[in-house]
Amino acid sequence: MDIFLQQLANGLTIGSMFALVALGYTMVYGVMRLINFAHGDLVAASAFVGLTIYTQVMGQATSLAAVIAIFLLTAGVMACVGVLLERLAYRPLRTAPRLSAVVSALGASLVIQNGVMLIWGPQMRIFPELVPQVYYTFGGVVISLMQVIILVLSLVLMIALYLFVEKTRMGAAIRAASIDQDAARLMGINVNQIIVLIFVIGSSLGAVGGLFIGLYYRGITFNMGWQYGLYAFIAAIIGGIGNIPGAMLGGMLLGLFNAFIAGYVSSTWADAFTFILLIVILIVRPTGILGERVAEKV
Amino acid sequence: MKRLNRLMLALAAVCLLAAPALADTLKVGVQAPITGSYANEGQGIDNGVRLLAEQINAKGGVLGKKIEVITCDDQGTAMAAAICAKDLVNQGVKMVIGSYTSTCAEAAQKTYFDAGVIQTSDGTADSLTEKGYWTFLRNSFPNSAEAEFAANYMVKVKKYKRIVIISDFSTYADGLANATEAAVKKLGGNVVSRDKIKADSQNFTPVLTRIKAKNPDVIFFAGYYTDGGQLRAQQVALGIKADFIGGDANDNPDFAKLAGSAAKGAYIVNVPSPDVLPYDIAKSFIAAYKKKYGIMPASIWGLMNIDGMRAIIHGMEQTKSFDTKKVVEYLKNMKEPLPGITGPIAFAEDGNRKGGSYVVKMIQADGSYKHVYVQ
Repeated sequence: MDIFLQQLANGLTIGSMFALVALGYTMVYGVMRLINFAHGDLVAASAFVGLTIYTQVMGQATSLAAVIAIFLLTAGVMACVGVLLERLAYRPLRTAPRLSAVVSALGASLVIQNGVMLIWGPQMRIFPELVPQVYYTFGGVVISLMQVIILVLSLVLMIALYLFVEKTRMGAAIRAASIDQDAARLMGINVNQIIVLIFVIGSSLGAVGGLFIGLYYRGITFNMGWQYGLYAFIAAIIGGIGNIPGAMLGGMLLGLFNAFIAGYVSSTWADAFTFILLIVILIVRPTGILGERVAEKV
Repeated sequence: MKRLNRLMLALAAVCLLAAPALADTLKVGVQAPITGSYANEGQGIDNGVRLLAEQINAKGGVLGKKIEVITCDDQGTAMAAAICAKDLVNQGVKMVIGSYTSTCAEAAQKTYFDAGVIQTSDGTADSLTEKGYWTFLRNSFPNSAEAEFAANYMVKVKKYKRIVIISDFSTYADGLANATEAAVKKLGGNVVSRDKIKADSQNFTPVLTRIKAKNPDVIFFAGYYTDGGQLRAQQVALGIKADFIGGDANDNPDFAKLAGSAAKGAYIVNVPSPDVLPYDIAKSFIAAYKKKYGIMPASIWGLMNIDGMRAIIHGMEQTKSFDTKKVVEYLKNMKEPLPGITGPIAFAEDGNRKGGSYVVKMIQADGSYKHVYVQ
């Protein structure tokens, strides 16, 4: 039982990181019908940006205020990068065939990945221990302070996003743009602004995910975005791409699934089983677990 | 007739001018992971080779030829290594230093053998010298020697009752873990679990959680420092009280940085660190390295490779020839080992480096090492 609960805690931690990243994929897809392949690399880049902010801007301060400032500054920087990405790589291709936009996304992914390598070097960089290594033991289950922070902060961000999309005027505009861009434009919604907003939100959530990866695992490499991007992308598909609660659910499920396969079967097979799960879900429910909501998709 | 003579004269002159230009330098290849996960080590090898070449060139080169270093980045992957091997051979190198990982050294071996190019690598996988390629000279000590030392330390010295062995899937790590498991069993030790992780996958808690239930006394990790540091951190985070012993490839300052406060108390098995090498030649080379690059050599592995290169050049000077076959022949039959940076260096008939001494180091709170057990 202890093992089961421990794997549950492990799975939820990594699952919430997947979910945060998956939101970026799903929101962009909801409005633009575009898989933003560069998102995973933005996540990797944000870990490096966070590290630089820590060493250069914060002067290696480790107070709580400094940590919060690192999160806010990184999210801000990455939001700008996200907007820039949309402006340079996607907006000029808005009316082009969809394949062109996908190729552009793949190109942008390579540009960002290699840019990170050129700026920060090819070797593994190591994150400082910003969060003290404090552990809580419940029976046989050990949970670290970092895990608690990841779980709580992700949950708060996801609930806030959900409320924003469902309850505010801006959220309503996002939902409208995702149903029909032309009709939304006729209703006086500035779709370009909505798309910029989507990139701001998606990239800042991805930045938080990237910082979590850095803080939790400590070692960051320029090419790690590919792995996390792939997992988050699968999570978005499992939950139903374009669907915000679906991305959260998909991320959590994928994290748990991975932890249990690795824990009870073998870590060797975790990747293979993940893709088998993806195939099974696509066969049984082609639109993902929660499905693409036909009336409303974001 | 006169015209023909003049033409011949002109041709001869061109040949005379061109000949020294063609054979002017001794080309030395470096095949190392300049980028990728092990970039730190690969750049260390490249830096070291270039420094040594500079020192030798300043003294007039090898048998009158200056050394020209050609570096190829194998990224730590077998595929890039195979491409590098072809590329270096095509560029006409006489010897290749590297690669850092056994996987990459192994992928390139056959190409160098076919071309008669001497390869010297710090790869420790036993399989590297089992193929009978005369061109391969190992400048480190094979896994089997380390496995026996580690098994003896765990079973006889520390008297661990429940031993867990973890590796990744690389040639080196899997080979070391299997050899250690066999050696532990031979000494009557009890291996309660033999697990494998995927290198670079970062999340090792699922495997560690399963291991926790086995209640181990010690976790022996055969694998690289990039995974080892994270494995140690996650082990401590999960409250697994077992000792941690890392194989030689964990011997890198980044291990302690990755593990953070969890690094304290972890053991690493390896040959002695660069900073404690007692030899004069080691002290002067490391001082020159620090002066040129502003940092210490990444680890002992770069220095092992430098010793390999020094041995080959020594062989060329002694045989007064660039015939690789003759040089290897000489190196395998030297009466006196060559004093090296990492200790006396001489090669056995199968290409293994003779000798081998290991130590167990414990990581201190500040990330430095303390030697706790010497063979």
